[in-house]
Amino acid sequence: MHGRVKVRTTEEERARKEKERQEKLKIYKHAMQQIFHKRKEGELDKNLLELTGKVLSSNPDIYTLWNIRREILIILKKADESEEEMSQLYDAELQLTEYCLKINPKSYCAWHQREWVLTTRANPNWEKELSLCNMYLKFDERNFHTWDYRRFVVSQCKPPLKDEFDFTTDKLMDNFSNYSAWHYRSKMLVELYPDVEGGRPIEDSHHKHELKMVQSAAFTDPDDTSAWFYQRWLLGAVKTNIEVAVYTVSPLKTTVAFSKPVNQTYVASKIRLFINNDLVNGEWQSCSGNQYDVLWIFKHNTDVTDSLDVKMEYDNENGDVQKIPGVKQNGNTYVGKGEIDFQRKYSKPVIEELINQLDSCRQLLAMEPDNKWTLLTTTVFLHCIDAKQYHKEIIENLHTLKTIDSWRAGYYDDLITKWSLEDQLAIDYKSDSIDFKIKFDDKITSLPHLQYYSHCENVDLSNQNLSSNVLASLELLQNCKKLSLANNQLTTLQRFPNLNLEELNLTGNNDLDQEELEVFKKNCNYSVIF
Amino acid sequence: MSMYSVLMNNIKMTLNPKDVIISIDRPKILLLKKHIDYLAKYGTDQDDYEYNMTEYLRMSGIYWSLTAMELMGASDRMPKDDIISFISTCQNKESGGISACFPHDPHILYTLSAIQVLTMYNRLDAIDVEGVVKFVASLQQPDGSFYGDIWGEQDTRFTFCAVMCLSLLHRLDAINVDKAVEFVLSCMNFDGGFGSKPGSESHAGLIYCCVGTLSICKRLDALKVDALAWWLCERQLPSGGLNGRPEKLPDLCYSWWVISSLKILNKMRWVDKERLEQFIMACQDPDTGGFSDRPGDITDPFHTLFGVAGLSLLGNSKIKPVNPVYCMPQETIDRLKLKPQML
Ligand SMILES: [Zn+2]
Repeated sequence: MHGRVKVRTTEEERARKEKERQEKLKIYKHAMQQIFHKRKEGELDKNLLELTGKVLSSNPDIYTLWNIRREILIILKKADESEEEMSQLYDAELQLTEYCLKINPKSYCAWHQREWVLTTRANPNWEKELSLCNMYLKFDERNFHTWDYRRFVVSQCKPPLKDEFDFTTDKLMDNFSNYSAWHYRSKMLVELYPDVEGGRPIEDSHHKHELKMVQSAAFTDPDDTSAWFYQRWLLGAVKTNIEVAVYTVSPLKTTVAFSKPVNQTYVASKIRLFINNDLVNGEWQSCSGNQYDVLWIFKHNTDVTDSLDVKMEYDNENGDVQKIPGVKQNGNTYVGKGEIDFQRKYSKPVIEELINQLDSCRQLLAMEPDNKWTLLTTTVFLHCIDAKQYHKEIIENLHTLKTIDSWRAGYYDDLITKWSLEDQLAIDYKSDSIDFKIKFDDKITSLPHLQYYSHCENVDLSNQNLSSNVLASLELLQNCKKLSLANNQLTTLQRFPNLNLEELNLTGNNDLDQEELEVFKKNCNYSVIF
Repeated sequence: MSMYSVLMNNIKMTLNPKDVIISIDRPKILLLKKHIDYLAKYGTDQDDYEYNMTEYLRMSGIYWSLTAMELMGASDRMPKDDIISFISTCQNKESGGISACFPHDPHILYTLSAIQVLTMYNRLDAIDVEGVVKFVASLQQPDGSFYGDIWGEQDTRFTFCAVMCLSLLHRLDAINVDKAVEFVLSCMNFDGGFGSKPGSESHAGLIYCCVGTLSICKRLDALKVDALAWWLCERQLPSGGLNGRPEKLPDLCYSWWVISSLKILNKMRWVDKERLEQFIMACQDPDTGGFSDRPGDITDPFHTLFGVAGLSLLGNSKIKPVNPVYCMPQETIDRLKLKPQML
């Protein structure tokens, strides 16, 4: 089914080929009939091994034939076949799989049969299997079956992990474009060199070493993508904690937003709400109804009135008890905010390396200003080193990327949205306002981090580039009263969530269906403007 | 951007050895009728070489053809009664599992295909459903993973088959869903993607299986969405087609697996839909009908389904809406009242 190029042939040639195929088909059908007949009669013998072997040699994917072979081998073993005899049969089986893998190196069945034989027979020769992997990886360094098989062999014969790590270094020195080797390396890096003390995924000096290795790979050929994915992973390999973003206690509802999705057990054991120093009892429900969520609703029976002392305690991941006081808003609503900081935290040697590499990137960019990968990497470096300081440059670069890598313009749009919102959030969280309005020039295309605004009562998302696929995430605006989506690109309201709004503004979404709007309005108990 | 760099980009584009060039004479519009005729005719010649040699995956073949036909609104061109009685003969009385074709052995891949076909026909009465549930549940291992059959091959594809199959039967209670999710998550990689087992390299087809499993089990929260979706959108090549892994050629089936995953993650806008549509259209064969893996190759029902389903996700109005998780008509999923999680 794959890679069969259609070639134009003469009628004569076609007829000859068809005749050939019909011959083959006849032999195949006859063999299959014989095989299934013998199996039905319980004749699981060496003759059947031969018959199935012949068919499999040209069609290694007929899974049932491999099953039959295993049945025969099991029976022969039980039937007191001598150890030497069995050993020969297993060797023959391995030869057959090797033959089949030459025809189709991606045959799941043949690979699995090999695994079965080696785990079934006595005294398997794992060293031989490992060298077989080496050989196969020379033919095709990206065959994931071979890599999987290698991992299986390694799990059995357990060579030192460092040997396998060095193997990936060798493979990468042959060809930096070997994504499979980068992948395997990532697995071993965190096993071999975790940062036990600092709680980071990778120990500092190795983190730095890997970054250097990526740099030499990537600069050999910036258009070869493999190393860039590994680099993005290295840059993201920092410690991040689950934090309380914001909580809201109003006469109607109590909500708590987290930086990452958590489950009920987590919330119930880590969060305590106090009103006038009394612990409030209640039950936690996720906003979406799912097991894990970033926003949790606390159902309790305590009256929320004027001039209360509201406080939340959170047992954070560093083992401290974080106390977050609630600040009173108008209308007996209390809001408490956690500390937010989206800046990634690297160790000193790593950040020095990043600054160094940023420099090289800029030099490269000066020579070839429209190279996508160099520009993207420069931008990511800037964001990692100091997102706030370089914000303007980062956004400009993303706009350039939209034109030179137009295939992924939507991705860069969403990055502009996300990073601009992170920049704005730092400022918004310094004030006690319960309004949310976009304060930068670029129009947003998605709604990341929306749980951070779950306390807001007035949400103004007008004049943006939002389409209908963002609607479901508005569910996080649990305390919103006035919501404006005026002048966006909405096309349907199908996924609009259930919210306790007072007013919803939908004007200027010209592709919204009038009929749908009327029906929607009828079903709402708040005013809908369109 | 200077004129020069546009030129450079274009040169790079045409010189990229890991991509295809779509020649101007490739089809640009949907050849709906040709595909319907192609699938209707497929398998009617019992002596056809190709058809016979693919007997070991017959059940999946029926699923590919029927789903494509349903999406094109032409399922009446398929021999419904023959298909249903064929499926009945493929169920193994003892294990309850279903094979690709009698007398082959039961396997979870073909059990799923059979269940998909029977739910589209709304004819689950044709088999022993309890037997299927028992078969699927028996394949779950202590680590949460699933074997494909009694012989112990372990793969995230089989987890997806199990979860999808049981959800179509409304019998997810028969397995340990939390454990199944735990296993899938143990297959997550540095790039946010998934492979076939713990430690395996990310691959678009297996990412689809794992994202689909998490969607049905309502655990999409566990994904590293931004990293994963970025990796997925980077699968798009200058030709508009998508590959399944970095530095590989584009392929129509991968195009489906990537965009259906992106659809579930609500990130379809991260790829260029117009260029992708051009690629899919170019994979049609105007002579024989059907779609192939790449423009100019021989067509088959497998790629025909993924071509049709891909165009459906891109919003082609001549094709019925497809559900990105089940790769079945949305109307079937609605009838079964299934609501896989979508971000
Ligand atoms: Zn394909």
